[in-house]
This record gives sequence, structure tokens and C-alpha cells, in this order.
Amino acid sequence: MLKDRHIRTTSYLIKQLPKATAFLNSELEVTHASDKWIDYFNFEDRNVFGRKVIDLFGATGKAWQKTFKECIKGVSSGTTVEHYTDKNQKECWFEQTVLPWYDEQENVIGVIFQIEDVTDSVVHQLELDKLHLLYNEKTEIAKIGSWNYDLTTHKLTWSKMTKRIHEVDDDYVPDINTSINFYKQGYSRNTISMMLEKAMREGVPWNVKLQIVTAKGNEKWVIAAGKPLFKNNILVGILGTFQDINDQVVADIKTKESERLLKTLIDALPLNVFVKDLNSKKILVNKAECEYLGFKNPNSVIGKDDFDFYSAEMAQGFREEDLQVMNSLEPLLGKECIIIKKDGSATTLLTSKIPLVGNDGKANGLVGISLDISELKQKEEELRDLINVTSLQNKKLVNFAHIVSHNLRSHSANFSMLLDFLVNEENGEEKENITRMLVDASDNLLETLENLNEVVAINTNTNLVKKPILLNDMVKKVAQNLSAFLRNNNAKIVNDVCEKVIIPVIPAYLESILLNFVTNAVKYKEPTRDPVIRLSCSFQENYMVLVIKDNGMGIDLKKYGDKLFGMYKTFHNNKDARGIGLYISKNQIEAMGGKVTVSSTVGKGSTFKLFFNEKN
Amino acid sequence: MRKINSIYIIDDDPITVFGIKKILGTVVQCETLATYGNGKLALEAIREHLTNQLAIPDVIFLDINMPIMDGWQFLEEFIGLPINQKVRVNIITSSIDTADVENWEHYRTRSHHLITFNNKPVKKDKLDLITKVA
Repeated sequence: MLKDRHIRTTSYLIKQLPKATAFLNSELEVTHASDKWIDYFNFEDRNVFGRKVIDLFGATGKAWQKTFKECIKGVSSGTTVEHYTDKNQKECWFEQTVLPWYDEQENVIGVIFQIEDVTDSVVHQLELDKLHLLYNEKTEIAKIGSWNYDLTTHKLTWSKMTKRIHEVDDDYVPDINTSINFYKQGYSRNTISMMLEKAMREGVPWNVKLQIVTAKGNEKWVIAAGKPLFKNNILVGILGTFQDINDQVVADIKTKESERLLKTLIDALPLNVFVKDLNSKKILVNKAECEYLGFKNPNSVIGKDDFDFYSAEMAQGFREEDLQVMNSLEPLLGKECIIIKKDGSATTLLTSKIPLVGNDGKANGLVGISLDISELKQKEEELRDLINVTSLQNKKLVNFAHIVSHNLRSHSANFSMLLDFLVNEENGEEKENITRMLVDASDNLLETLENLNEVVAINTNTNLVKKPILLNDMVKKVAQNLSAFLRNNNAKIVNDVCEKVIIPVIPAYLESILLNFVTNAVKYKEPTRDPVIRLSCSFQENYMVLVIKDNGMGIDLKKYGDKLFGMYKTFHNNKDARGIGLYISKNQIEAMGGKVTVSSTVGKGSTFKLFFNEKN
Repeated sequence: MRKINSIYIIDDDPITVFGIKKILGTVVQCETLATYGNGKLALEAIREHLTNQLAIPDVIFLDINMPIMDGWQFLEEFIGLPINQKVRVNIITSSIDTADVENWEHYRTRSHHLITFNNKPVKKDKLDLITKVA
């Protein structure tokens, strides 16, 4: 009874123990247990007393049983860390202490099984291990070493990686002076010395990009960082990292060099170079393109598109061209087009557009190259003009040569023939007849020569000086000179020429031209009506145009158009027609830098347009 | 002396016409010798003869440079006329322009008529040779 009570009291004491503790008898049955112990293992049935360890812990209990039995025999395993998964699959780590349980006679009657939870510290340890592993990995990959300078002992330690970066052996022992001497002389060494001093004096950390020369003499770029450590406001040391960034810096320098080379190259090119993105916005322009668009700074052009520089219609055309190139991935090469900028200036560009293809095989923009060929075009135009003038002159010359040859030949043929007749003719009357014809032939030849002379004079006297004259006055003068002729033919001149128009002409030519056109209009009048000749003027492109319109018989231009201004071409049964007037007029107009055109309707009248080149 | 029914001279130069006529009188006997000052007048005459089923000229002397209708324009119209018989057309010109020679080639090959090209002056021997029925 007393003993029972004693046991109960003991049991109650154990129940309240602050540590998770259980007492197991020699049969390894739970005799006493603290609430903490029961709570810790979270048994389903809290009544664990009298139950065997093996029943309570299953497989884990079986492993422990051996430890416990050893302990009962007097062999203690001390403290071990054990692992246990409870019924809720919660993982627990605990420190287990198994001690022999003695009675008053120092006999082992069981074991004391005490545990302490260490789950948190185990997890922390695991995390630490993991971090350590990661740190080593990272150090390896990023080539980051570390160092530590202890100010109390003046001892400097380098991590393995730091040593490797310096290319020294693993057993190398650095000190603060030798470590500074690894920095390249000049900027790098001065900087690190300054940083170190500042850190020691003011506690300022540093992080700088410098160059070192390794033990093997290799130059390397590194990022050196240092952070002063304080203890109770007293500087106790400096902790730092040391990163090898040589590869990046070298690559960076190379990239920059390539960029500079490319920029120098495209800026020096006498070509407009630009890069456009998918939206046809310019993302790169060279100097030439920039200047072409009228800007000094490329930033004024970057991000803009053709709509900012050209008319909407023109820009739309370029946009479609860009899309075509980027969608088809086919470059557009050497396309010639005339570009009109917003200020109205026109240039001829020879443009190529090449798609920029990304890794996905699709275009992510295009490169454009344009060559300003405006000057070339202008030269080409001038050359073409010159060729035209030359070939025209040549044609005129050949034509003239034929005229001369034909006319002189026809006269000489007549002379030859008539003289042949004369020599063999016996009849006196016929002789006279032939002689009269010879005189006619001689007169004709003289006239022809005079006409040819006149044409030659017009074409050779190109240095005759042009004078500005009032066109209206000249028309009045011609009308005055022809007044008798006009009256006899019931003809009327209507002078609609603006009174103020002044044109530079060779006055004698203009007078002769007007006389010729007016008399022609009267000569070839429509018999049923009185001739009316209307003169007026207008401006057309570079020319001042004198329009001479008559109501005469007109001329079939389909039949005679190409011969109208030819020499010795006549088209009417008019005895006065010599076929020389229009030819000479045309030569005179051309000698003054002008031209003449005609339109006509048979039976209604003709309109001649005389173009005077105002500029010349 | 050779006999030829009808000869036309188409030329606006009276001296040439006089000369051709004078030489013709010494080499052939001709029933009708007509002269026209330009191609248009000659063409009108031929058309009229065709309509009235009268005789067409056997030989034509044709100048090139004439007012109203020149020799080439005349030929263009003439070779299109419904004339079955082969007419001899002698071009008489002082032109040595290659364009005129090319024109001659052009009409010569396109027509069944006999078209010849002759430079002035035309002397008796030459005229004798070319004044024949084709």
C-alpha cells in the first residue's frame, strides 16, 4: 500500500518533468513517462503505460530495442541523433539519451529514455550545407573569390578562388603589401591603395573595376570589393570579394571596338545607311542619312519613320516596300526613285533594302542603303540634252547638205542638158529658145544660192545680239509695213498681244518671221472669206508663246506635217510659193533658242505657236 | 523608130520637161505625150482613164520633189490602183540622198510595175534605153 503510493508519487513527479522522458522496465515496457514525452511522439492512445516500445514505435522501435537492451546490460550508447516520422508523417529530428535505470541497490531495472527535439537545428544545418554548396558552385562559375583581412593580427587570407585568380599556388600566403602589388601599376594600384586607406580611416566600402597582373604575368580585369568590419565601433578587419571579369571586359572592349569600327565605317561612307525596325521606324542612321534628312544629331531621326519626312503618299509607298522586303525576306536591290522631301526639294536615290533576319528565321527589321544619284542624273540629263542637240544639229546639217547637193545638182543637170542641146541644135529659133531657158536656169541657180546663203547666215551668225523688245510694238510695226498688202486682200490683223510683254530676240529675225507668217496667212486664205489673223501670247513652262491663228484654208498635217517646215516644199498650187519662207522662219526661231509648232484643220484655218525661250 | 502609145512626164521643172520631151522626139514615136506639174494631177488623169476604160500610160517619167504630191506619194497611190498591165516608171531625180534610194527599193519590191531610178542629167543614150514598154 505504502509502496503503491510511493510509486504513484514517483509517477506523478515524472509526469511533470520539463524534458520528454520515459522510464522503461527490463521488459522495455513504459513504466513512467512525462507528458512532454507522450506529447512529442503524438501517440494515438495516450495511455502508453505497460506497453512495449516495439508496439509503440513499430520498425523504429525494433532498431532501438537493441540499444535499450545493451543499456540494460550496462553499455550506454550516450547521446545520438535520431529520426522519426509520426502518424501525421511529420518528420522529427531529436537528440536521444538512453541511460540505465538503477534501483536503490544500484541494480539496473530498466532504461531512462530521454529526448530533445533538434529538428530546427538539423534543418538549419541542412540549409547551411546547401548554401555552402551553392556558394562554392557560384564561386566556381562566376570566378568570385573572397578575402579577409584581420586588423588585430594583420593577417590576410585568400580563398582558393582568389588564389586561382592571382594564379598563385594554393599554399601561397599573401600579405597586404604583396596583394596591393598585384594591381597593375598606375591607375589600378593607385586606386586600390586609396580605397584601402579610405576604408581603414573612414570605414567606407569599395567596389571598383581594376586590372591586376597575375603571378604568371597575365593582365586581368577584376572587380575588387571590400567592406570594413566593426566590432563595438572599432574597425577589426576588412572582408572582401574578388571577381575575375577579364573575359567579360575583353569581350566588352572587343564589342565596343567593333561598334566604333562599324560606326566610323558607316559614317564615313558616302552612302545613306539606315536600319529600320518592324514598324519601319529608324533605329540607326549614319551621318550621311542624318544630314540628308536635314538633321545634325542622329537622335532627331531615331524612332521616326518616313511619314515624318515625306508626304503621306510617298511614305506609304516606302512602308509597303519595307513590308514586302521583310515579309518575303527578299532584298530589294538598286531601286531608282525620285524622292520629294517636305521642303519640296527632289533627289534621285538608288536604294537597296536588305531584310534583317533574326534567329527565328523571321525579319526583325531591315538595313537600307541609298546612293544619292541626283547629280549623276542631272549630268546624264545634260548629256542627253547635248546628244539631242548634237544629233538635231547633225540631222539639220545632213538635211542641208542634201538640199544643197540636190539643188545644185538639178541646176547643173539642166545646164549640162541645155548646153548639149545648144551645141547640136541647128534651128535658129530653137537655139534662141534654148538660150532663153539657159538664162532662166542661171537665174534659178542664183536665187537658190541666195536662199542657201540666207540659211547659212542664220545658222552661222549665232553671235547676233538679242535685245529685249516689246512684242506688241513689233506686231504693230509689221501690220504697218503690210498695210497696203492687207488692204488689197481685205485682211485684218487682231493684235491681242499683251502690251507689257518684253522678250529678248534678234529684232530683224522676229520682224522677218512675223512678216512671213502674216503674208502666208493671207496668201493661203480660204477664198470664201476675208482673212483674219489673230496674234496673242501666253506663258507655257519656260517659254513665252506667240500664237498666230488664221482662218485660212488650213493644211492637211497628216500628209504634209513632216514637210511643212522643209526647204523647197510647197503644198498649194500657188505660183508665189517658193518653199523657202517657213524653212527660213524655222531656222531663225531655232537660232534664237525657240521652237515652232502647228495645228491646222483643212478649210478652217491654222494656228502656229512660236516658243521664245525666255531664260535665254 | 520605136512606137509607144502613151507617155506621161510628171515634173514641176519646165526645163527638165523640155529636155525629156526634146530627146524623146528623137528616139520614139509616141501617140500621146502628157505632162503634169505634180503627182496629184497625174494621178487624177490616170484614175479618170481607168474609170473610162481608156489607155493607161506605158512609160512614166517621174520627178521626186514636187509640190502638193511628190513622187513617193504618187507611187504609193499608183501601185494601189487596179492596173493589170506592167507600167514602166522611170524616176528622174538629181537627188543622191540614200533615203531616196531606199524609198525606191521599197516601192520596187512591192509592185509588179517596173520602177527604175535614174540620176539627172539624162542623156539620149540613157533615155533610149529606158523608154520601152515594160
